[in-house]
Amino acid sequence: MIKVANLKKSFTGQAVLRDISLNVAPGELIVILGESGSGKSVFLQHLIGLLKPDSGSIEIDGVDITTLSERKLLKLRKNIGYLFQEGALYDFMTVYENIAFPLHEHTRLRLKEIKEKVLNILKLVGLEKAGMKFPSELSGGMRKRAALARSVVLDSKILFCDEPTSGLDPKKSKEISDLINDISRRSKCTTVITSHDIYNSFRIADRLVLIDHGQIIARGKPEEIELSSDPKVKEFLI
Amino acid sequence: MQRIIQFFVSIGNALFFLGNVFFCALKGRIRWGEVLKQIYEQGIQSVIIIAMTSFASGAVLALQGYVMLNRFGAKEYVADLVALSLVRELSPVFSSFIFSGKAGARMAAELGTMNVNDQIVATRALGVDPIEFLVVPRMVACFLVLPGLVVFSDLFGIFGGYIIGVADAGIQSSTYIHQTLRAINYVDFFSGFIKTLFFSVAIGWVCCYQGFHTKGGSLGVGKFTTKAVALSYIVVVISNTVLTKIILAFWG
Ligand SMILES: Nc1ncnc2c1ncn2[C@@H]1O[C@H](COP(=O)(O)OP(=O)(O)OP(=O)(O)O)[C@@H](O)[C@H]1O
Ligand SMILES: [Mg+2]
Repeated sequence: MIKVANLKKSFTGQAVLRDISLNVAPGELIVILGESGSGKSVFLQHLIGLLKPDSGSIEIDGVDITTLSERKLLKLRKNIGYLFQEGALYDFMTVYENIAFPLHEHTRLRLKEIKEKVLNILKLVGLEKAGMKFPSELSGGMRKRAALARSVVLDSKILFCDEPTSGLDPKKSKEISDLINDISRRSKCTTVITSHDIYNSFRIADRLVLIDHGQIIARGKPEEIELSSDPKVKEFLI
Repeated sequence: MQRIIQFFVSIGNALFFLGNVFFCALKGRIRWGEVLKQIYEQGIQSVIIIAMTSFASGAVLALQGYVMLNRFGAKEYVADLVALSLVRELSPVFSSFIFSGKAGARMAAELGTMNVNDQIVATRALGVDPIEFLVVPRMVACFLVLPGLVVFSDLFGIFGGYIIGVADAGIQSSTYIHQTLRAINYVDFFSGFIKTLFFSVAIGWVCCYQGFHTKGGSLGVGKFTTKAVALSYIVVVISNTVLTKIILAFWG
């Protein structure tokens, strides 16, 4: 359960998030839609305490994470998968090593078990052949999939994905959206995705949230949003 | 006024950063595997150029020293001149310069690139402390590698002086070696060595801090890396003066 209440954040005088409140139920898949620069990435980074809000609170499973120290946050983040907009894979490690990294850090699995797990997940994201490559040798779509694999390898119950489909062609976008949907449904993961990919968001989301200039302008099931008469919403959906 | 405040804030941040590194290292959260990788990279990278520089400095000191000392009929003292200048002053400072230009720049650029590509914040998102994973190994490696390089540089420099002394100035080989060993007290060696330990922390600190806080894409990486190297030079030069004064006051 994630509860965000009255979240506000500005950078050097520029208000980026203005009063955002949002609840996400366990197992729910939410997509936050918004134009470029509307504050999606900033919002998502707040959800795992990478940024501190100016005011407001964020509760994850009953704990207000805005007051936690970095050390406590590090512990908390072990249980949360986070996919960065640009992937943020370690470029000095191979894809295999990148995916094995969280397992080495946070589990006591033996090398053999780690290997098995990594190979499984590589297969799941369709990168069986790319395990020994470095991130710089991958295409954008492959890099996204590798990064997704790294963020879900610990089977966490919460998953945040920042624009998983940006910069990909329609076919690849559909693939990766389905992949996230699959993973999320299979492990009953509470999932928050940001995107400006309207087509795929409507396909996979339980609920959609539209955000504009740091404010939520609409929220609801895909059917409800589609029927909305709000001019701003209509404009965005065209 | 704003600039002055900003200056003190950044000094405070840098000190806080160093405090974090020490805290982590003292608590034993040192990843020795990573340290070994870094030692290998930093050591290998600087060793040849340091050997060349020291050899050449030793040789030049001997050439110049001979011209002067020969006028007083004291050419054997070339050995003393070479050994003492190198061990007390030149090796620690020159090696630190070269080290910060190679290993320091490398650390700053690596961390800087990681930061602009979100790899450092991704480390935090994975629940791993980036100071522990990325900074502590680099700084510990610095602390271990640079003193080693300085000893190495002492030896090569003295060897450079020896070649000139024996081949060019016609000092007997045994005399030269004897003279060198007599000249260097442990105090001389340690006054250079202590400075080196200090420089190694300073270079690691400056370069890792700059890299860790690099902003502004590829331009930023260039800017912050140059800044890291320039700052290390300044820190080495200034702290060398202060430390020399302090050491001379205590040991003479
Ligand atoms: N660290 C920061 N310092 C200053 N301003 C920032 C910072 N991070 C984000 N911003 C500003 O916040 C606004 C929202 O940025 P954000 O990255 O959240 O947009 P976004 O909705 O994710 O856009 P995109 O779809 O392009 O990723 C932008 O105007 C940006 O300039
Ligand atoms: Mg974004």
